[in-house]
Amino acid sequence: MPEQIEFDAVVVGAGPAGASAALALARAGRSVVLVERGPFPGSKNVYGGVVYGRVLDDIVPNWWEEVPVERWVVRRSTMMMTGTQSLSVDFRSQAWGSAPYNGMTTLRCHFDAWLAGKATDAGARLVTSTVATGLIRDSAGRVVGVRTDRDGAELRAPVVIACDGVNSFLAKEAGLLPRAEASHHTLGVKEVLDLPPGAINERFGVQDHEGVDMEILGCTRGIPGGGFLYTNADTVSIGVVVSLPELAASGVRPEALIADLKAHPTIAPLLAGSTLREYGAHLIPEGGYDTMPVLAADGLLIAGDAGAMTLAAGLWLEGVNFAIGSGYAAGRAVDRALSKGDCTAKGLASYRADLEGQFVLADHKRLRKAPSLVLSERVQQRYPGLICDLAEGMFTVTNPTPKAGALALTRQVAARHGVKLRQLAGDTLRGLRIFG
Amino acid sequence: MVCLRITDLRPAVDPLVGTVTRDRLGVGLTPADGAALEHALRIADAWSGRVVVVCVGPESVEPVLRDVVALGVSVVRVPLGDEGDGHRYVAELVEDERALARTLVAAIAPFGRPDLVLCGDRSADRGTGAVPAYLAHELGASQALGLVSVVAESALDGAPWTLLVERRLDGGWRERLRVSLPAVCSVEGAGVRLRRASLSGALAATDPTPAAGSTGTTSAAVASAANPITAGPGSIHVGPTRPFTPRTRILAAPADPDPRVRLLELTGALVAHDPPTVLHPADASEAADLLLAFLSRHGYMDEIPGATRPSPVDGDVEIDGDGQAR
Amino acid sequence: MSAVMPGAGKWDGISFAQRMATVDFRIGARAHIAVDSDICRSCTTKACVSACPANLFAPTADGGILFNYEECFECGTCYMVCNSEGAITWTYPDGGHGVVFHHG
Repeated sequence: MPEQIEFDAVVVGAGPAGASAALALARAGRSVVLVERGPFPGSKNVYGGVVYGRVLDDIVPNWWEEVPVERWVVRRSTMMMTGTQSLSVDFRSQAWGSAPYNGMTTLRCHFDAWLAGKATDAGARLVTSTVATGLIRDSAGRVVGVRTDRDGAELRAPVVIACDGVNSFLAKEAGLLPRAEASHHTLGVKEVLDLPPGAINERFGVQDHEGVDMEILGCTRGIPGGGFLYTNADTVSIGVVVSLPELAASGVRPEALIADLKAHPTIAPLLAGSTLREYGAHLIPEGGYDTMPVLAADGLLIAGDAGAMTLAAGLWLEGVNFAIGSGYAAGRAVDRALSKGDCTAKGLASYRADLEGQFVLADHKRLRKAPSLVLSERVQQRYPGLICDLAEGMFTVTNPTPKAGALALTRQVAARHGVKLRQLAGDTLRGLRIFG
Repeated sequence: MVCLRITDLRPAVDPLVGTVTRDRLGVGLTPADGAALEHALRIADAWSGRVVVVCVGPESVEPVLRDVVALGVSVVRVPLGDEGDGHRYVAELVEDERALARTLVAAIAPFGRPDLVLCGDRSADRGTGAVPAYLAHELGASQALGLVSVVAESALDGAPWTLLVERRLDGGWRERLRVSLPAVCSVEGAGVRLRRASLSGALAATDPTPAAGSTGTTSAAVASAANPITAGPGSIHVGPTRPFTPRTRILAAPADPDPRVRLLELTGALVAHDPPTVLHPADASEAADLLLAFLSRHGYMDEIPGATRPSPVDGDVEIDGDGQAR
Repeated sequence: MSAVMPGAGKWDGISFAQRMATVDFRIGARAHIAVDSDICRSCTTKACVSACPANLFAPTADGGILFNYEECFECGTCYMVCNSEGAITWTYPDGGHGVVFHHG
């Protein structure tokens, strides 16, 4: 008979979603255990590098005074590139460089551990180096706990919150996620490069704790996806995020895509002399609102990546904030369900309603068409070159030949890239409708 | 008693000056330390004994100690300096193993004299494996180092307890020893892996307010990880020496199509050598300058470090002509 | 094995082994990946070989797949891209083992 330990709630995974869920429950006075399979929270996690902290305002007042931050993002740059050209839209706001801030670069081993520390300070119990190997169900099929890999010992509770990440085996076991659906996932690969803070400040035009966030289209050899470059305190994070099935079909090695990006004439000077500190990879769920799984079953909620709550829609690359928002909402929904004594899917339904009402699902719903547009063949393979050529045509001085008019130039360049003006206008409209 | 050296398992070592940089995220038990603890737990079961773990280290090792407490053993930590902002130890504690051994013995004095002390036989960050020998000296115990297996012999009535141990010899042979107590043994990270703590043990170790005896383990944890017993730092004197390791020079492979010529080129058999140069510098810093100049002349150093000059070397320096400083 | 594995090439001056040496792996006693080479022999795409960011999968001469589990990022790419049900069995490594990111 395996050991059994009782709690009010079991939270699996001490990432941002799990830590927030445990925090909400502990604050409500519930006994909650947070199970983490790594040796410390954040040890299994890799992301691009930016957390948007607005979601923390209600959860940890004045969070910016204590959060482990690398740099505060004051510059956002969106870049289109071809092998030899690049065009950036570069925005800077000094307002983002002071409280209450907007985005920050941080590393997950620090950030996740900080947030999990908030939960344990509030009374949650964190047990690390422990894998939740499966769900325990009662005779009625309701989830009543998880088995662990510590001698099969069981953690029992009326509700389990699965925040066990993109591979969520618990959500799969419960039938809420398909076993393996490559088309709803992208692969992120990242290199963290050592670069002295002085060099970062000089090359990226920032000072002190200011940082830069760059998103790049057109750097992935036509595989749908994009690149990113973020500045940390004394390192920079560079990487690519690419569609999993298309990557597999292309036969291209993931690290070769990073090498391409690092060698690009626009990027290479920014990174000259840097050395590799750490290489890493992680999957990202990327189905968007329309493929989001059912989020609740009897005695089970899913949050964060397990519930596919990331937004990788070109202009927005977010995930940690949705994880925190959904995790906290899940924690509060479980508290309400425990008070009512109804932990069935129906009793937990306030979770979904809460998410629909706040940014977590509202954003996903509004941008539900974005993934298909951003990952479309035209946006990925034709527009970066088209836009760069257009800029080159506008700015190349051709005296004494007279300059071509903008419309004529657009028509010429679009034809060269196999795009009809009607399609261009249509996609622009679609984009405006989705993002506007 | 088990002595653990808890440190970054993958410390960064500067190839030029030998500075060891540790990352607090990398701390963990080496396989050798894990094996030492596992042997201790098995022997304690056999003898109905009690295990005390002692460790010298900064606060950052506490997560690892919490995992050890989860196994139901007592833990003592001797605090060691602070890590500074760059997580660098200013002092290299391991360089004075005798002082370290004395500190460890003093730290466990309140628990009484141990019958058996187990250590890992190596650490990831320049450990020399000399601590167990010094510990044996301090305790007046017998010693058996570098073991692959340690088994508690079942004691006959009235007979003293002994251990049956094995260690590797050259050529695939092993020697088997019978060790009488008290003893100090160091073990290789081979043969056994540290067991995992039970879930209740792991939970108890995270409990901020442990009730006495609530864990129900045979050896009640006298120290919770949240508040391990910390002993005084003792008198640890650390010398300034640091080993100097020149960078490996990478040479292009010989390109000649004739294998014989390539072989000759590789061995340098037909190349005229400079005769060995014997230098008699007036003082240590001059010797260091000469050595550095020689190394950079032969392409071993990208630049001559100004601030991080290796420690002075006393006496005559002999440098031979094939690029090796001896 | 003398053949160069596909995709194991050098990019920007560092070998793949050097690249992987930057990552902290705490190797568990149990292999958390299992591959059924009998199924792989009938697979023509072998997507796992090129897509795995840690380059853990290598095709063998008899059409099977040779794999390592030690230096795994635990990302799940291999079983997601695998088009043969049951060829790759993938679980999390035992608690406390496997990859430990310091700069994730």
